[in-house]
Amino acid sequence: MISVQDLSFSYGSKGVLKNISMELKGGNIYGLLGENGVGKTTLLTLLCGLKKPLTGTIDTDGRNPFDRQPSLLAEQFYLPDEVAPMHNRAQRFGLETGALWPNYDNLKFLQILREFEVDENQMMDSMSAGQLKKTWIAFALACNARHYFLDEPTNGLDIPSKSQFRKAIMKYTAEDSAVIISTHQVRDLEDIIDPIIILDKEDVLVNASLEEISQKLYFDYGTEIHPEALYLEHTPGGAIQVYPNTTGMESKVNLEALFNAVHAHKDVVKALFAK
Amino acid sequence: MKNEVFNGQRFWSYFKYDFTQMWRNHVKASIGIGLSGLIVYVIVVAFNLIFQGTWSGASLGLRIGTFVLAGTALELYQTRTYGYLTDKRKGSAWLMNPASTFEKWLSMILMTIIVLPVLFLGVYLIADLLVTAFDPTTGHSILHSVGTGFRDLASQLSDVNLDYETNWNIWAFAPSFICGFITNFLFFLLCGLIFKKNKILGGFVIIFLASSLFSVMLSVFGLPYHIQVELEDFAQAEAYIRHVLNITTWVSAFIAAGLAGGIYWRLKTLKH
Repeated sequence: MISVQDLSFSYGSKGVLKNISMELKGGNIYGLLGENGVGKTTLLTLLCGLKKPLTGTIDTDGRNPFDRQPSLLAEQFYLPDEVAPMHNRAQRFGLETGALWPNYDNLKFLQILREFEVDENQMMDSMSAGQLKKTWIAFALACNARHYFLDEPTNGLDIPSKSQFRKAIMKYTAEDSAVIISTHQVRDLEDIIDPIIILDKEDVLVNASLEEISQKLYFDYGTEIHPEALYLEHTPGGAIQVYPNTTGMESKVNLEALFNAVHAHKDVVKALFAK
Repeated sequence: MKNEVFNGQRFWSYFKYDFTQMWRNHVKASIGIGLSGLIVYVIVVAFNLIFQGTWSGASLGLRIGTFVLAGTALELYQTRTYGYLTDKRKGSAWLMNPASTFEKWLSMILMTIIVLPVLFLGVYLIADLLVTAFDPTTGHSILHSVGTGFRDLASQLSDVNLDYETNWNIWAFAPSFICGFITNFLFFLLCGLIFKKNKILGGFVIIFLASSLFSVMLSVFGLPYHIQVELEDFAQAEAYIRHVLNITTWVSAFIAAGLAGGIYWRLKTLKH
């Protein structure tokens, strides 16, 4: 389990995260959402130990990520938005780099590459951005880590690849893995991410499972307009409305509508989920 | 539970990984620099054939000059070998590799002060030996000439002062030479890890500033007493040179240890 307590971070005088607290449990694929510049990438890099918190603590299974202890590094994988174009063939890269991860499975790497339709003999520094990203995703999954920090993993992927990515995440991560995915492309991932974390400037607005969200908010896809709606978006043949769930009825959470509702009424939503 | 600072098996895995990356990305350049003496020789021979119509290889002086320049180029090249760590993409991937900072540091130091230099020296000196073995116009090899140079110096000392016997040889200079060379390599390695851009220029700026500071300190505190010693004979000269070499060796070793510590600190605190 990853436990974050009163975490703060700033770039010089520009505060990014302020007194953030949360718990990230294994067996979940967390969706980390937020506007540009609210600190999604910063949070991911803090969680994996690439940055040191200004104040507060991060505890990953009893260890501090910034200590970069080999035993913890072997159990986690950070995939940045922009991945490194290594001067190596994909299959050689897998063999050589994978030797550092005790649980690395080269057959799995090659299998995922094939599913992604990436040529294992191609030099990584001559791949397209999408192919390179898929190679790194395949490598990450073949490392059999317990904690995955994926920053905008679907950026640069074409439509079939996004679908392949979703399938691969579901198929190749262990049941007790904690996967934290930062994304703007909520539609790409809305079928797999749960719980949802919505970051705002220096704050966490929502950290809840889809079930909790649907208990607190109702997503109305009908045509009748509700003036009390926190968010309203007209769609062909109707509208999507989000309003507090006072009746206890279940509805399918629409992540984009949720995100927009949260942003339009931060205090209301935060208070709703703080209860 | 494995030791989190150093584990032999994990270090060996990491060292093999580091070596393969080094081999793939930088060994060609090191061999290229090592072959510069041979390239200069070929150019000189071709030049002499074309313009003078005679077969004449590169002189010893030119070959030693090229050797010094090639060694300097290899020193400067150290800014590139691990310079990628300041790049967000490659640096992040490197930091997340499962090995301790100490293991990564140790591997980096071994690559920098042993693997690449030994490869360079091996290639350069073997190429020079082959050239001099097959082409009599080039004279002696660098290795032979350095050896005889020191023997000549030693015999001069003995000739002038007939009562004086010396056992000087090339190895008398080795500790000072090796420590100086390690210091330079580690210095430019550290520059590569500190500066994101203009790594070599940054290194020269530091050298300039350090030299200026050293000059100011010398002018303020005066010359050390032993530099002002008047030498009366060669026995005293040898003792004096040994003394200076000893000081140089220790100063270089001290700076090298400081640089190695600085490199460890940089790796430990590197963030992306």
